[in-house]
Amino acid sequence: MATRAQPRQLYPAGSAGAEALATGGAASAEGPGRSGPLQDETLGVASVPSQWRGVQGIRRETKSCQTARIATAEAAAQTWKHVDAEVQTEAPVPVGVLPASQYDGPRLAAFLRRVEAMVIRELNKNWQSHAFDGFEVTCLHTLGYPPAQGQGLHVTSVSWNTTGSVVACAYGRLDDGDWSTLKSFVCAWNLDRRGLNPQQPSAVVEVPSAVMCLAFHPTQPSHVAGGLYSGEVLVWDMSHPEDPLLWRTGLTDDTHTDPVYQVVWLPEPRHSHRFQVLSAATDGKVLLWQGLGAGQLQLTDGFALVVQQLPRNTKLRKPPRGETEVGATAVAFSSFDPSLFVLGTEGGFPLKCSLAAEEAALTRRPSSVPLRAPAQLIFSPHGGPIYSVSCSPFHRNLFLSAGTDGHIHLYSMLQAQPLASLQLSHKYLFAVRWSPVRPLVFAAASGEGDVQLFDLQKSSQKPTVSIKQTQNESPVYCLEFNHQQTQLLAAGDAEGTVKVWQLSTEFTEQGPRETEDLEQLAAEVAT
Amino acid sequence: FLHPPPSWDVEETLKRLQSQKRVQVIMVVNTEGIPIKSTMDNPTTTQYANLMHNFILKAWSTVREIDPQNDLTFLQIRSKKNEIMIAPDKNYFLIVIQDPTE
Repeated sequence: MATRAQPRQLYPAGSAGAEALATGGAASAEGPGRSGPLQDETLGVASVPSQWRGVQGIRRETKSCQTARIATAEAAAQTWKHVDAEVQTEAPVPVGVLPASQYDGPRLAAFLRRVEAMVIRELNKNWQSHAFDGFEVTCLHTLGYPPAQGQGLHVTSVSWNTTGSVVACAYGRLDDGDWSTLKSFVCAWNLDRRGLNPQQPSAVVEVPSAVMCLAFHPTQPSHVAGGLYSGEVLVWDMSHPEDPLLWRTGLTDDTHTDPVYQVVWLPEPRHSHRFQVLSAATDGKVLLWQGLGAGQLQLTDGFALVVQQLPRNTKLRKPPRGETEVGATAVAFSSFDPSLFVLGTEGGFPLKCSLAAEEAALTRRPSSVPLRAPAQLIFSPHGGPIYSVSCSPFHRNLFLSAGTDGHIHLYSMLQAQPLASLQLSHKYLFAVRWSPVRPLVFAAASGEGDVQLFDLQKSSQKPTVSIKQTQNESPVYCLEFNHQQTQLLAAGDAEGTVKVWQLSTEFTEQGPRETEDLEQLAAEVAT
Repeated sequence: FLHPPPSWDVEETLKRLQSQKRVQVIMVVNTEGIPIKSTMDNPTTTQYANLMHNFILKAWSTVREIDPQNDLTFLQIRSKKNEIMIAPDKNYFLIVIQDPTE
């Protein structure tokens, strides 16, 4: 409620006003002398001040407050005395064997008597047990030939003979770039023989040049063919260690001019119980030899791969100028069609070829037998040279190829693009082989020193088993399954050792429906 | 008929067991896990005894829980490198370590 301060108005009260009244009246009375009761008078204003209401004035008062001063005080404390003490756990006293007097002798003896028979029975059962036999992949034999290993030779190829009891290996070097006069060896071990000495082969053949590939004869258990770095093809009889050489091509005009990378025995076209040798080399020629009298391997037929004659169904990189030959590095024959074979090439593309091809090859060099161009279909290439091809023994259209790009390609003969491409290694892959008993299993040898076993039924991405063959990651160069004793796999490495692995039962026993699964895989051909 | 002294019987039995094919270690442990006899050095024996003890009791209690009428008669652990066989009893356990593969 605001009170307005009003100016003080003080009117002289009472008498003054009355006086004014009176004077006014009186004055007029002294006027012209007219006075009377009908006279105009002006009366003054009368005001009456309030007795009780006062003026609301502003009142001010000043007050202040101040906190009292903070009182501080200082005090110090100091320890005067101290004592050092250490705490340390004591080393646990091992609960030692109780001294003899502390256990109950007779009770112990009785207990042992009770369990002894059972334990012995279990112990015997155990080491005789075959329960876990097929459980793991184990290395049965580690074979080596010390003189060859001493020269730093690699195992370039292994081969099992027709009975499956002898494994032979070829020594050479896979990384030499030039002509070498390195002496090398072909060694064979008879695994069924008692008293097998892994360091002492049952037969050794000295060869004047590095041997690059090896193949046992399909019916003669002791005949083995080998291809040399010099381009020659030789056939030995391992049962005559004094004079093993049976046939040789010699260095004629027909001989390969480049290292022979693969040899294969083929039945002769007219006499199927006799065999001839097919050799494939990087000079682009695939030649067929027959052993005649006098130890000479005669050229009977041959093929030459020339760039201009390659099928044009897939686009390839332009070959460097001047180069017309296509080096062949691997051969695999189909188990279903004996005239059909697959060649792996240095250019990285597999070629589907036929022995019955008729087109003449455009080779520059003359040869005693007219050479033909075998290629019918060219497949989509790898990222590097192919080192190994293998045709499936269970399906007529499938084959595998492995190359330096570390990839395995699964091809169908019906299309150029691979059905599947698996990367197995970051280094080179040197060999790939289908298993002879399991349709979906194959093995690959890698440059990282391991043998990888793939089961396409279990996983198509990673190997089921990866066997470490070498300790220092030196490459494994070759591997072969034993077709007679199907649980054995031989692999040769850069250390000069051949290891014979016994595969677990999961790799040797066919599961149900595997052939159907393989068919399904092959049917994934793009239409 | 003279009883052979008790310790000889024990030693002989243990020797017979040790001479079985491919046996590596023989150990006798009492029910508290304290080794009584062993062919190995002390610290390793103690370690084995302690570890096996718990395992044996677990196996034993498992068998009993499944069927109280049943009892554990033999225990075998096969590993990559060897096989551990345990014959349990009321008072003792006999632990044999064998290498079954060559």
